[in-house]
Amino acid sequence: MTPVSALSQGAHRLALARRLSDEWRAHGLAARPADRPAAEAAVVALYRLIDAPAPEFVWVPSPTAALSIVHDDPHTFPPVHFQGANLPKYPEGWPLAAQLANLVQDLRRGLDRAVGHGVSRGSWWRPLAIPAERALTTGVAIPAIIDMVVGDALYATLHNCVRALIRAESMPTTGGTDGMTWYGQHDAHWIGHYDVYARLGLAQYRRSDAELLALLAELARSTGWWWPGEGRCVMAERPTEVHTEPLPDALNGEVRLHRDDGPAVRFADDTQVHALHGTHVPTWVMTDPSVERIHAERNIEVRRSAIERIGWDTYIAQARLRHIATSGDPGNPGSALHLYDVPRELWSRPARLLLVVNGSVEPDGTHRRYGLSVPAHFDDPVAAAGWTYGLSGEHYARLARRT
Amino acid sequence: MTTTMPATPTPTPLTTPTMTLADLTRRSGLDVLDHLERQVTIPVVDGLQAQGDLIVVPYAFVTRAVTLTSGNWREVPAAGVELLRSAAGGNPHTLVADPGTCRWTRQVRDTMGLAIAMIETSAVAYLIHPEHGGTGIAPGRYVVRRQRERDTERMGWRGDRMIAD
Repeated sequence: MTPVSALSQGAHRLALARRLSDEWRAHGLAARPADRPAAEAAVVALYRLIDAPAPEFVWVPSPTAALSIVHDDPHTFPPVHFQGANLPKYPEGWPLAAQLANLVQDLRRGLDRAVGHGVSRGSWWRPLAIPAERALTTGVAIPAIIDMVVGDALYATLHNCVRALIRAESMPTTGGTDGMTWYGQHDAHWIGHYDVYARLGLAQYRRSDAELLALLAELARSTGWWWPGEGRCVMAERPTEVHTEPLPDALNGEVRLHRDDGPAVRFADDTQVHALHGTHVPTWVMTDPSVERIHAERNIEVRRSAIERIGWDTYIAQARLRHIATSGDPGNPGSALHLYDVPRELWSRPARLLLVVNGSVEPDGTHRRYGLSVPAHFDDPVAAAGWTYGLSGEHYARLARRT
Repeated sequence: MTTTMPATPTPTPLTTPTMTLADLTRRSGLDVLDHLERQVTIPVVDGLQAQGDLIVVPYAFVTRAVTLTSGNWREVPAAGVELLRSAAGGNPHTLVADPGTCRWTRQVRDTMGLAIAMIETSAVAYLIHPEHGGTGIAPGRYVVRRQRERDTERMGWRGDRMIAD
């Protein structure tokens, strides 16, 4: 194949990969009722693969509702984490959920062999910071590009930015096992990865692997989270609302949860997940952000989100931050730079707060103010502002214009 | 190489001394939000200027900190060059210039780690942003830097993070 036709084949594959990635992301973000017959059929087929009879299905409106059933019924949903002595002698003695997990573990090993590498990589790996189209023309191999556009992008969106927040909301991070949760639509990141390799003709799977992958793909397309038990399977509906915004510097359609006038995720039973620009925040940040609550909050991203909600100047007034100095903002006529001391309870390292004013006007005619943290040694607001751009105070004082 | 101008009836050259935001958006095909004043002449600045979280620094200010890592300059095309997108992903800072007058590169090293590009323009170039509007850059060589703040979460030497507005 000549380099030119290799490149055009690459471009064609990349375009198709982007389209398929978009489809899988849409499944992962879907906020419509589950396709119950499709989901149940896939689960029954999975049970059959481990010689288990079809379970009774219990549909609930949210993961939270499902977990209360799962936690109340340890016979149907026995713990799946074993240690030494309580490890069953034969796999047939394992709980059903563990047998299913085992099946999928073997599946992924088989699929990885066919693809040539695993979906997850070591800590050495860094995403390419350039658009895939450009990477392609500079000679990056097509598998690396597909991984960036499909697997990595879907993982960032569905696993890190959506699933993680719903999980944090519905499951305490400490305590026992949840009896092995399956994530349905939020498993689309790894299922999509293998699906795209097959559909682009870059990998060929064993028939049994392809069939099992198709069942899991069906679940990712049709339902929310689910919990397989002995004779009984709890199925959670998908959310009724999912609100997102693009991730900063997203090159491959990555999004994060965000909504500032209500919950970013809502289920039919009114289970809610609040998120501001991807940060999972407690309800009080949305409904009643106060200085007391801000200072009592341990998570810095939550504190920051809450401050931005009430506005930096309101926060500074209410928190009675100690004023250090004020000077005019060079290049921003009529606006001032204010420097404040910040209590250690707010930030875990010494720093000062520089309150600045946007150079351009907002739609409501105001100029937005926002706080920037700067090193604690600054006493001069102009020098502190210069530091934010890597410039000395003398240079920053020569700022001719700010828009 | 011939460069085709966009098919506007009477393209205003970007070098016209009284460019307004209305002219600039018409000429570049880029748009800004409705509330920004469109009929005022856009100032052309030959010194330091900031647009939101970006700053345009005359190269003379930062010759010691910022160096080119290759001579790989590229011409700013008629459609402009996106220098940086905002946190929400939808609001880019775009550099526009008349074809053949302005070149740029991302091949820069900055001891501060803030430079994202160097630009060199022989005629007036413009930086346009949907929320911040437009600003003119006089002929010269400049470094474009991002804004940082102290990362208040983390102790240690890499304690800064980029601002994204």
